Amino acid sequence: MLLRTFLRIFVFVLLVVGIYAYVGQLVPQFEEHPPKKKVITAQTGRKELVAIGQELLRGKGGCLICHKDSETGNTRGPDLRQAAVHAPTRRPGLDGEAYLLESLRDPEAFLVEGYPKMMSSALKPPANLTPAEVKAVVAYLQSLGGVEVSTVVTEDDAAQSQRAAKAVHRGRALMDQHACTGCHKVEGEGGDAAPDLTRVAERHPPAELLRKLNDPAAWTAPGFDAGIMPSFAEIPEGDRQEIVAYLAGLSGIAYSATGAASPWSHEGVRLGMIILIANILMLTALAWARRRERREVT
Amino acid sequence: MGVDGGVPASGPWLVRTITGVWKGVFKVSVMLAMTYLAAQLLSAALPAADYRSLPLLGNRTAVWIVAELHLMFAAFVLGVPIFALITEIIGMATRERRYDDLAREFTRLLAMAYTLTAVLGCVLLVLFLALYPKFTTYMSSIFKPTWLLYLVLIFGEVIVAYLYWYTWDALQGARKRWHILIGLLVNLWGTALLFVADAWVTFMMSPAGIDEANNPTSLWAAATNLTWMPINIHRLLANVAFGGAIAAAYAAFRFLAADSDEERARFDWMGYVGSFIAIGAFIPLPFAGYWLGREIYQFSEQMGVSMMGGGFSWLWILQAMIIGSLFFAANVYLWLGMGRIPGGERYTRFQVPMMLVLTLGFLVWATPRSIIATGAEMAAMGGSHHPFLGLFGVMAAKNTAVNLMILTTFLSFMLYRRGNRVPTVSWTLAGKAAQSLAILIAAGVVVGYGVYSYFVPSIVRIGFSLYQVAAVLVAMAVFVAIDIPLLKGAREIGVIRWGAIPERAQYALFFLAISFTWLMGLMGYIRSGIRQYWHIYGRVADESANAYTMTHGDATLIVSSIVVVFFLLVSAVFAMALRDGRKV
Repeated sequence: MLLRTFLRIFVFVLLVVGIYAYVGQLVPQFEEHPPKKKVITAQTGRKELVAIGQELLRGKGGCLICHKDSETGNTRGPDLRQAAVHAPTRRPGLDGEAYLLESLRDPEAFLVEGYPKMMSSALKPPANLTPAEVKAVVAYLQSLGGVEVSTVVTEDDAAQSQRAAKAVHRGRALMDQHACTGCHKVEGEGGDAAPDLTRVAERHPPAELLRKLNDPAAWTAPGFDAGIMPSFAEIPEGDRQEIVAYLAGLSGIAYSATGAASPWSHEGVRLGMIILIANILMLTALAWARRRERREVT
Repeated sequence: MGVDGGVPASGPWLVRTITGVWKGVFKVSVMLAMTYLAAQLLSAALPAADYRSLPLLGNRTAVWIVAELHLMFAAFVLGVPIFALITEIIGMATRERRYDDLAREFTRLLAMAYTLTAVLGCVLLVLFLALYPKFTTYMSSIFKPTWLLYLVLIFGEVIVAYLYWYTWDALQGARKRWHILIGLLVNLWGTALLFVADAWVTFMMSPAGIDEANNPTSLWAAATNLTWMPINIHRLLANVAFGGAIAAAYAAFRFLAADSDEERARFDWMGYVGSFIAIGAFIPLPFAGYWLGREIYQFSEQMGVSMMGGGFSWLWILQAMIIGSLFFAANVYLWLGMGRIPGGERYTRFQVPMMLVLTLGFLVWATPRSIIATGAEMAAMGGSHHPFLGLFGVMAAKNTAVNLMILTTFLSFMLYRRGNRVPTVSWTLAGKAAQSLAILIAAGVVVGYGVYSYFVPSIVRIGFSLYQVAAVLVAMAVFVAIDIPLLKGAREIGVIRWGAIPERAQYALFFLAISFTWLMGLMGYIRSGIRQYWHIYGRVADESANAYTMTHGDATLIVSSIVVVFFLLVSAVFAMALRDGRKV
């Protein structure tokens, strides 16, 4: 009886779930892929710049969530087909290109009548465009509006974009945070009071670097005084591992910041000891309760 | 961490209690130790990388399945104690033993579910550490103190939950209030666990407390980010609704497998209480959802628009279909239940108009805004939106429809409650008129704001949904406030014939449980999916091969598979509870 009931119900489960899954197949099917990374330089031609701009507008920029650049599309924001045409007359003192650049970098500086404040700067997340990418989008808007593509990516734009696009390694950020770069130079930036650490992992493997962070007296580079560097044993272990991973990476050495520490030196073991003690205490309480119960029985 | 079988016997309760609690603590300790060792061994053995690949299933699908199953069981073990406690308090207040037995029956279901939740949580942690080491390390750099707090809370939850179970018999009679206090602690601990875990999830959606270079600046700001509290409240309510639906499904299973009328009557009543709690918690759920939606828009208009108007909008059509079906099932169960209430036939005439409102609401809610069409079809329609039906595809119409459906379901409940009773107070007519007026005013506000919504931008429109919701909530509060004194001392036409309900009503309860579960899986996917190719929206990009958003068809197949696996596991939980029950 039980098994039969179970089977009946299970068939019912499959039926209902099957219907929902089937309806899921009926709605439009498409995949959305992350935007491809394109490198824009001062030498990028106008035609290519326009093409990159179009791709950015439709992909990474997420512009079409609110705007449209063709007959069909969204109307939460102004129609982009006319953006470059109206641009020269929008803001007194700004020409068409300057207005379009401003509307992307600082959208709230001027709002087209009838549209609310809802766009964040294209230079900030989630669009997160680089200065050169913003210019590429402007080039596309100019091309779309049928006006002359006047936007030019300069060397400075490209350099700024490279800096912005380059992810700061967390280890490097931690070195800045803990003032390591106050004394040490890394990748050409930092102080001169201590050795340049850019290629330090070529001389000292990760385990040694970790030891140095924990105990600065472990060894001292020739030509520098001992006893100046403070200990970093108190900063979280994960942070120390990240710094070592960053320095190792600069010398082309693969080193995982995750779980690289010996399992037995990890704070998880210390936590485990506390849990073990809690278990022992509970067992002691149990033994006490049992003895009390035996006494009551006898 | 299974509560080992049966009802606690009287006698040496102290030894039994300490043994039971220690067993729970020991099981969690072993699970954590194994998780730690597995994570360490895998990290040491696997090559250094930002991402590692899991063969066959792939990283995303594996994490998705395990996380969703973990979440479903967690929802169950957090939701059930809430209504077990409520039922126990009702039992104490009314001195009706059956409520106390029901609360215990619910609590019995927690046994294996706790174990499964913990095991799935441990597997999930290992998967994160092994497959997404860089991301996990980053999250750890921000949330490490909360992980320690989470561990403390887990042990606290285990201890109080086992105390709650093992002291059931010892703390009866005059000592009952102490047992209720332990039940309260179980819920407080459980809620704290939920809130801590929500901080991690919501930080990924609406990051805060980090600087431009993503370095942590404030743990408090990171935890209490913009979407944290709406998700806390949404999940808290959803857990109760979900727990109630699963408990009602358990009762339905026991009803169908019952050997005697007495057993059928018992489980019919249990199914009714479970479904009552489920639907009661379900009614305010869309309101919490609107709040969450509003906060998402506040955080990022772009994220909000891609959720409601972008690729994910089609999944809201699916959601509408399921919620519409849930409303139907809940109402059908109540109307079938009227058959066992002498005097219930007086309200049969309301069923057709109510069905009409539900059907129209369903149709409006399930109408898509834009339709994939051929060039010729688009030319005939004059655009991508249908000239007439397109008007019903926007949130303005959908909010109106769902609020009217909620009002209708509420009315069904109230009529069911009144089934065998006739008010005898002198102001009966005035009371009923005031109740009708409250409902009509609420309906007017809902429709009025619904129409006005067409003429304002989306950021204003989403705010209107709160006014519509407030009108419905106020009407419900007024109705109930009048109903309680109105039915005081009411004449009873007859006694409810528990057990005398058609078998198909039990399938309505299963339908509720399956649909709740599927909906939970779908909404979890939408919530997570709107981050698109970001681990942490706008801050930490997903640079793995899984960064793309899959097709809706594939996503719904995965959700469906998770639901089937969940019901197989839940069947095991039911079987264990049944075995334990029979041992007694």
